[in-house]
Amino acid sequence: MVTRRRTRGYTMLEIVVTLAIFGVFLFIIVTLTAEMRRNEKKWPVNFFAHPEVGSVLARMRRDIYDSTARPDNFETYNSSPMTLIVYTINDDGTAETVVWDFTTPGEVHRKAFKATMLSSEWAAHGLPMFTATTESMPSGQEAVRIQATDKEHKLAIDELIVPRPHA
Amino acid sequence: MRRSRGFSLVETLVALAILAIVITTTIAMFAERTRRLRDASETVLAFQALSNEAEYWRREPFAQIDKADNQTFKSDLDILKPLTPYTTEVKVDSPRTDVRNVTLTIRWAKREAHLGVARADTGGSGLW
Repeated sequence: MVTRRRTRGYTMLEIVVTLAIFGVFLFIIVTLTAEMRRNEKKWPVNFFAHPEVGSVLARMRRDIYDSTARPDNFETYNSSPMTLIVYTINDDGTAETVVWDFTTPGEVHRKAFKATMLSSEWAAHGLPMFTATTESMPSGQEAVRIQATDKEHKLAIDELIVPRPHA
Repeated sequence: MRRSRGFSLVETLVALAILAIVITTTIAMFAERTRRLRDASETVLAFQALSNEAEYWRREPFAQIDKADNQTFKSDLDILKPLTPYTTEVKVDSPRTDVRNVTLTIRWAKREAHLGVARADTGGSGLW
């Protein structure tokens, strides 16, 4: 007995059924992915994974912890949420005035002065928008509140740093 | 003899099923990665708030620590906005008359984060 081979292509019904099944699958995947992305937008960027942000915070913590005063102004700088001025003690026991300048978007500049002479300058780029404000603690001490927001203005960093008591 | 017919419907369905499994697995891995990143972000936000709150509790006058009406969070919790709805709790234990253990807790979704502060009565209004 000779069996005749089937040489035709797909019928319309076969193609429609196959595409319908795959279409349903794709629809489910796309819907789930879109939902996931919508949820993700709720979250601020986790800047703690960024080395530049880490180095800014580490330097700032040290300056603030060891500070003995926060002058209202220094040379051409005036203290504001965009400019933090601290008088801080160094490892060698000498003191310097440190100006943290957040006025340029995406950049943070640290300038240290011995008396009025610029002694060191450091800058970091590709950063969120930082601000520094003052907050009163129950002990009467004044803490520096460092905040940073991402490009969508979501608060990503909020850290209270209280200077160490100095005798 | 050369086979000249096309694929059967079963062959095509099997191929698509394999493709579907591969795509689903990839998406599932991606979703798991996203979930872990979100968990990490939540933890970072919660511990920033706990750390700020601890700064307040380290400076609270010793006599005020275990007062029932004082046991609430005192710091600004703006940073916790993405965790809404969340709850906070302050629990104070007194293992000795001159020691207070303050446990700060933030609960959100099905997760929670704790931070403990131990305070000793040094007789002054100092930091420790």
